[in-house]
Amino acid sequence: MKDVSIIVSLKSPDPAAMTAMSTFRRIYPAKCPDSLLRYDHWRFMNPGQGTETVSGIVSRYHDIVNPNKQTWSYIDEFSKPSGPSDDGMVWIDVLVTDRIDSVSENWTAILRRSSCEIEGVLCSVLWRFGFASGISCDDARNRVLDLTASTYRDHGLLANPVSQKIDLPAPLLI
Amino acid sequence: MKSAPLVAVIQFPGSNCEYETARAVRSSGMESCIYRWNQWRELKNSRPDAYVLPGGFSFQDRIRAGAVAAKERIMDLVFSEAADGKPVLGICNGAQILVESGMVPGWEKGRIETALAANHISGRSGYLSGWIFLRTTARAQQICPWLGMTGNGVIPLPIAHAEGRFVFSEENHYRAESSAALKYCDAKGTESSDYPINPNGSFLNLAGVMNEHGNVLAMMPHPERAFWMWQLPPWIPGEWGDRRDKSLSSGSHAAAKGPGSMFFMSLADYFRGER
Repeated sequence: MKDVSIIVSLKSPDPAAMTAMSTFRRIYPAKCPDSLLRYDHWRFMNPGQGTETVSGIVSRYHDIVNPNKQTWSYIDEFSKPSGPSDDGMVWIDVLVTDRIDSVSENWTAILRRSSCEIEGVLCSVLWRFGFASGISCDDARNRVLDLTASTYRDHGLLANPVSQKIDLPAPLLI
Repeated sequence: MKSAPLVAVIQFPGSNCEYETARAVRSSGMESCIYRWNQWRELKNSRPDAYVLPGGFSFQDRIRAGAVAAKERIMDLVFSEAADGKPVLGICNGAQILVESGMVPGWEKGRIETALAANHISGRSGYLSGWIFLRTTARAQQICPWLGMTGNGVIPLPIAHAEGRFVFSEENHYRAESSAALKYCDAKGTESSDYPINPNGSFLNLAGVMNEHGNVLAMMPHPERAFWMWQLPPWIPGEWGDRRDKSLSSGSHAAAKGPGSMFFMSLADYFRGER
């Protein structure tokens, strides 16, 4: 068995992504990405029946996906090679996860109590940075790290490394 | 010429405690004025003597509570004024902004050395509101202009937050105690990390953290919501419960000051040179 991950996004433009983008434009104009997307990222650990178990959970619990305002899809974190995508953009993904997280712990407890065959749940936020062509993947990754890790008052925004873990996984197939 | 010290209360989009905070300042014998986040020129020209970042949900807590407000231009001014020694208080969301600005604990200038992370309570997550008890540390009473009058007693105050757990990276655990200003305790003054005494899982039971000089204080509880005695619920035990009962029986209840007033009165004392 392996973990199954899904991403959840708003049907409308994501206000947090819009605010992040406008803040980047204001304080880091030279490093600002051309596009920024935000998703809730849920990793379901060892679901008994794989995607079937996960789709059952998603359809049952509207706190995870509210179908009135959100859409969701599976993601395969290992299937896409790095490099410019078909649209000519370089996409870099970054996953921000609280080091200690009541939400993940409580969802794990809820799902176990409801007899779901699952080891655990890990909730994160996935940010997708899009850069127009002309930038190397390495440069794009360095920019993303700079923009993400909030280490000084005037440095970074999306994650506070004191309490949050920052992962740059391989580009995701979304 | 100013007749009384001017305390600037800074309103960000989403702040929601600015008026009662300004009122608490005025009721303590100081002047207060609310400045919007984009009025940094006006703020600079008015040369305030102290600053308060009130509670609320600046920028709707988007990305992370306090993270966006910390990058606003007005915070450049607050940062430099704090570096010059002016008193700065952040309450709840204001505390989150100070943390995200690297103003507390401030061991390295501008570096973000702590976090106000999501509450970590077994069996529940998210927003939490209620009354807690806290005590001021001995060092904070001596050096923090907001805490001079708080004494050694137990102080009941309300909290209302989803992200109020002070966290330090492991390499800073050894010096976190030096930044402790306020600690959660039970009604008798005994510290504990158990819920609900420590309501959010905060490291070292921290309810408030100050910078090295003590002039910047970031606290999660809301003193402005307990400024008057009538704001205390009837079940509050101990010294403040007794005071509440006494004010009720003596007919002075409406005008009697509550535990939250001590934070603002301390600042007024500080400006009078009495602390």
